Amino acid sequence: MNSFLHDAPATPFFLKAELGERFCLYYPPSPGGECRGVLIYVHPFGEEMNKSRRMVAMQARAFAAVGVGVLQIDLFGCGDSSGEFGNASWNIWKRDLAAAWSWLEDRVAAPIGLWGLRLGALLALDLARSSENAIDRIILWQPVISGESFLTRFLRLRLANEILFTDAGTEKNTGTNGMRSSLRAGNPLEVAGYELSPEMAAAIDSLQAAELFVTQCPVHWFEIVAEPGRSMSAVGAKVVTAWKQKAVDLHLHLVPCLPFWATQEISECPELLLATTNVFAEQTR
Amino acid sequence: MQHLEEVKKILSDVLSLGERKNSLTEDSSLLGSIPELDSMAVVNLITTMEEHFDITVDDDEITASTFETVGTLTHFVEQKLAE
Repeated sequence: MNSFLHDAPATPFFLKAELGERFCLYYPPSPGGECRGVLIYVHPFGEEMNKSRRMVAMQARAFAAVGVGVLQIDLFGCGDSSGEFGNASWNIWKRDLAAAWSWLEDRVAAPIGLWGLRLGALLALDLARSSENAIDRIILWQPVISGESFLTRFLRLRLANEILFTDAGTEKNTGTNGMRSSLRAGNPLEVAGYELSPEMAAAIDSLQAAELFVTQCPVHWFEIVAEPGRSMSAVGAKVVTAWKQKAVDLHLHLVPCLPFWATQEISECPELLLATTNVFAEQTR
Repeated sequence: MQHLEEVKKILSDVLSLGERKNSLTEDSSLLGSIPELDSMAVVNLITTMEEHFDITVDDDEITASTFETVGTLTHFVEQKLAE
């Protein structure tokens, strides 16, 4: 086991919230140093949450080591929290984050920020737009650009399953268009072991990063690129332009490494850990 | 099969094949032969190919025969590029 696992103990607990409890993990800022702030971590959707656990734990420890606490919360129906995934909704998840915010506010006298990965990045932005709380900063890791494309990829998992477990002779499959119509007709759909409700599908389908601009605090966007010197994707660049037109205080960081939330083997990205931790190191200069 | 090497590289990257990449040929079978090729890997492969080759794959084009061998997958990409 690597040494980072022993650096700072995290406190697990269950937070009482609507329809049960949420599993939380709090990484307090390392004792002895100054507390520079706290972050609420917003996890990604489906299997991406599991694939990214290691990187998130490493980043949370890196934050704690420089005096930044992190509260991880498993949203309703996810991880070890109450509820079934199929009964979750976008709005319950936003209220979960609000509950996490209150918990922190009662215990820590430090500025509170949000840190979201993939779809969690959009949830963090959506929360920030509707929240009256003073948000210190927002850290985005590879935000989903279009909810519609994201949902299509998720639905394709079911398509891929059909391909894998049907005879090679079968030339027909249920396309994602067919799945969407069925969802719109009010039928839940099981995809890769997750029950997707029609409401959740509709909520994800309507998400557009370009529209979720947040202007009340600095936004740090970390985008993974395949190799050094590569620019970000064209669709990502469009969102950057749109946000800048809306006067978002945007700090874009391109980091070359593997897409750790999706790789076959669990992968690490030390460059991303370093760059993200530096967001807090810079402000003391 | 001018895109064979690129397809092999994508397969290797997405499936974390490592050394096994070097033994891949046009006739190497994929579905049923490479244990790493699960549903998430199939979706990642399609997505990566879409981004790499700047192509758009429609759902009804994806069948088991597309993923039969390295050659059938490369052929699929080349057909899309020719559209």
